[in-house]
Parts: sequence; structure tokens; C-alpha cells
Amino acid sequence: MSVTGPPKTPLEPAREPRTDPSDPRFPQRSWAQRLRRTVRLYRRGLGAHLRAVLEYEADFWLLVGAAVLTQLVGLVFLGAIFSRVPHLAGWQFPEVVLIFAMVVIAEGIGSLLFEGTWRLAWKVNQGELDYLLLRPYPVVLQVMHADVGLNGLGNLVTGGALLGWALWRVDVDWTLARVLLGLVLFVSAITIKVSISLATNATSFWTFSPFSIFAFAMHQVGDLARYPLNVYTLGIRAALTGLVPFAFISYFPAGALLGHGQYAWVGWLTPLVAAYCLGVAWLVFRTGLRRYEGAGA
Amino acid sequence: MTGTTVAAAAVRPPLRAYRAYARISARTVLTYRLNFALGLFGLLFQLLALLSIWGVLLRAGNTVGGFSWPQMKAYLLIAYGTNAIASSFGDMRMGFRIREGLVAIDLTKPVDFQRARFAETSGVAVVELATTAGICALVVGLAGPVSGPAPGQTGLFLLSLLPLLPLKFCTVYLAGLACFWTQNTFGVSLTRVAVTNLFSGALVPLALLPGWLQATAGVLPFASITATPAALYLGTATGTEALRLLAVQLAWAVGLWFGCRLIWRVAVRKLTVHGG
Repeated sequence: MSVTGPPKTPLEPAREPRTDPSDPRFPQRSWAQRLRRTVRLYRRGLGAHLRAVLEYEADFWLLVGAAVLTQLVGLVFLGAIFSRVPHLAGWQFPEVVLIFAMVVIAEGIGSLLFEGTWRLAWKVNQGELDYLLLRPYPVVLQVMHADVGLNGLGNLVTGGALLGWALWRVDVDWTLARVLLGLVLFVSAITIKVSISLATNATSFWTFSPFSIFAFAMHQVGDLARYPLNVYTLGIRAALTGLVPFAFISYFPAGALLGHGQYAWVGWLTPLVAAYCLGVAWLVFRTGLRRYEGAGA
Repeated sequence: MTGTTVAAAAVRPPLRAYRAYARISARTVLTYRLNFALGLFGLLFQLLALLSIWGVLLRAGNTVGGFSWPQMKAYLLIAYGTNAIASSFGDMRMGFRIREGLVAIDLTKPVDFQRARFAETSGVAVVELATTAGICALVVGLAGPVSGPAPGQTGLFLLSLLPLLPLKFCTVYLAGLACFWTQNTFGVSLTRVAVTNLFSGALVPLALLPGWLQATAGVLPFASITATPAALYLGTATGTEALRLLAVQLAWAVGLWFGCRLIWRVAVRKLTVHGG
């Protein structure tokens, strides 16, 4: 046993006053207050970055236009196919548009609200996380709101229009329960998309490379989910269901909402899959963050 | 004497300078293999999705829009190959160099900017061609037989591949030049990919598009990239029609090459490099 242990640095006992209810610097908050504070600060942080990117007005129009154009070209492809055939692997045009639109919207929300996730690799590589670690706000949220992808707005507008059109045209009896189911499925699908982006980008805590090649590659894999899963071979289906559950962003929720196909019941698992993905993403990020040791400079 | 030699050398640098560019770019993509493979990932997954979708529609033995399953496989492979060529060392890289001011270093070199970029593209094209051959073998192995070239069309098809490289290079280079004005690489590149995908026939054969889109594709250069080689390979264009398509392709390649040179002259004056 060493008698002369390292002296306590002033940084270390900083946790103590936090638990002291009488200290006015660290007010005790209920969970509702904490949630409201978290959301408010996220909005403020995102807003600051939004103002920054909106300074470049030409960029705004270029990115939004490019995203709209990209998705419209994808729609032209579907339209060309359905002008020749009545259904694709048992799915009709509005149903396939619904599947397609879900991926587009998920990408749109991912870029617009959580684009910072894609800058994590750079922050780890450059040691920029140091600053975030010092602020009294969850590091993972600080990372996620650190950029705004304006192409996401284009995707969101196009995807939203397509989703609206598809929901209007599909053959569904809109009861209150079904509307609620749709909302739950929608939120779950978006959660899955954002969680996969976070988990794959958090691998940069281990790779240290300035860009997360793995995350970009996975993003491309996710593009397969734009079309009904049952067009693919068994191996791809299994990978998109169990390995990286991209199919739960579009195909399975759509199946559950429409009550379509023999695997419609799988879509009911979407909220569970969302919770699972969120948990895994959080775990990967936290484990990675513990490994983070700055860049030395 | 010496003065004129130096001046002449500055005007027309030796071919080996450009060969060096081609060699270095090929070596770069071979060094950063993972990045190169990732660059092709988007196209590969597009190929996979298209093969799966058309497989479902055509595997039973029927035809859609005049395509049988082996013909569609051949079409999709040609679409992949013509899309992959000159895609790796392209507008994103050039845009980045313009935005960061690194292009100033390129300007100080005693070589022609456009020819140097073309040399780089050509070097990478060799690697891209090799990977495309590998992908074709893989698809034939996994998805079954692919239509061979229509009788008597092999020569015409191979001929249509020659102007492909300058043609494809020019469309990518134009997008790169646009970055002198926009400073935004990502949006320009996205737009280029979307427009090329639609009007070249890479995503869906032009014959399946609605009339007004076909008409638009007819007056744009992109159809010469994918639709022309595919039509010659599958034999949907023969005789004088085949020769007309080849002439159009060549005209676009030459026209775009010199058009790019004109635009470059204006574009380079837009450049502002801060410090250094």
C-alpha cells in the first residue's frame, strides 16, 4: 500500500456538490424537467448550426434541389416498372411507394436533425470530443446536433409527399387504432434508422480514421430497404432483418400497417426492434467513449 | 535557343508527364483500396437491387418492355460498367481541391489542367475496368447466363466503348468545374449522379420511360454513356442506326471536351484562394 498516493485533483470530486440538494448551482430536477431541458438544449444547439449553414443560401437550394431530384429519379424508376407490370412480388404501386417513402423520410430526418452523427469520426480523429466532455449535457446528444444536412430537408419534403400520396391510395380501413399503430410504427422506424447510424458511426472510437467507412458502407446497404424485401434472395433478407435490421424501417412496418403478406405480424415487432437498436447504439457509443483518450495535442 | 525550348515545353508538356498522372492515380486507388471499394458500393447495391427486382419480374420467362431475363442482366451489367468508369477520382475530389484552395498548386504545374485530370481518370479507369470484369463474372456465376452480344454487333459495341471514357470524364469534370461557382461539392455531385442515372438509362432502360423523358434524354449527352453501348450490344440498334448512334456519341465526346475547355477559362477566374 502506497502512503503517498496521487493527490486528488480538483477535477475529481466535482461530482459531490451535484448530489447536494441545498446547492443552488445544481438544482434538483424532476425527470420531466430534465427531458424538457434536454430537448430545449438540443433545439438550441441544432438551431445554432442551422443558422450557420443557412448563411450559404445557394448551398441551401442546391442541396435541397439535389435531394429532391435524386428521390424523384428513384420514383421514375418505380413508375416505369409499374407502367408495365401490375405488381412487384405481390406489392402494388402505392404500397411500394409507401416502402420507398419510409426510407426517404428516415434518411431525411437523419440528415436534418442528427447529421452530427456522421461527423463523429472526425471529432474522434481530431480530439475535438475534449470540449464536449466538459459541458453539462450528454456527449452523445452534443455529437448528434453538431451539424445540419440540408439535403435532409429535400428528402423529408419528397418523402413526406410520397408517403401522403401512398397512404391516400392504399387500401386501408383507417380506424383510430390503425392511425395510432401507424404513428408508433413511424416513430419506431425513424428510431431504428438513427440508431443504426449512431452505432455504425461509433465504431470510429476503435478505428480512429477521420471518416467512418463502415458507417457509409452500411448506409448504402440500407438503400436496399427501398424496395420490398421479398424481391431479394434469402441471404439478403436474413441480413436486412436480423443482422442490420434495415427492413424494419420500411418493409415490415408497411406490412403491419397494410396487413399485407404472410409476414405482416413481424412488423408488430418494430417498436421492440427500435428499443433494441437504441440500446445497442447507446452501448456501443458509451463503450467507445470510455476508450476515447483525446488526440494528444 | 534555350528560351524557346523552355517556352515550347511549357506549352506542350511531354506525354510522359500525363502518364505519370495516370500511374499515380491508379496507385492511389490501389493504396486506398477500401475507399475505392466504398466509392463503388453505391453502384454495387444499385446493381444488386435492380437485379433482384428484374429477376422477380422476368425470371418466369416472360419479357417486359422487350427485355428477357438474360438480356436484362446484360443491360444491367453494361449500366453498372459504364456508370462505374470514371466515377472514382471525380468531381468530389476536384471540388474539394477548389474549395480548400489546393487547386492553386495544380495551377502552378506546367501541365494542362484538363488533360492532367483526364490522365488521372484514365489511370483509375484501368482499375475500374478490372473490378467491373470481376463483378460481371460474379453476376454470371450467381445469377446465371447473360445474353452475349447480338450477332455481328461485337465490333460496334467495342467501338462504342472508346469514346466512353472522354465522354464520361467530361460529365464528371463539368460537375467539378461547377464547384468554382457553387463551392458546394456534395450537392453538385448528387445532382450529377441523379441526372446521369436517369438520362443515361442506367437506372431504367430509356425505352421504358414516358415519352417526354425519352425526348429529353434524346437531346442530352448522357444517353451516349449507357443506352448507346447497351443498344449496340443487345442489337436493338443495327446498320445505319448503329452508325448514327456512334456518330452522336463521338460528337458529344469531342463537343464536351472543347466545351469544357471554354468553361474552364471562365471558371478559373472565379477562383479566390485565401492565403497559403
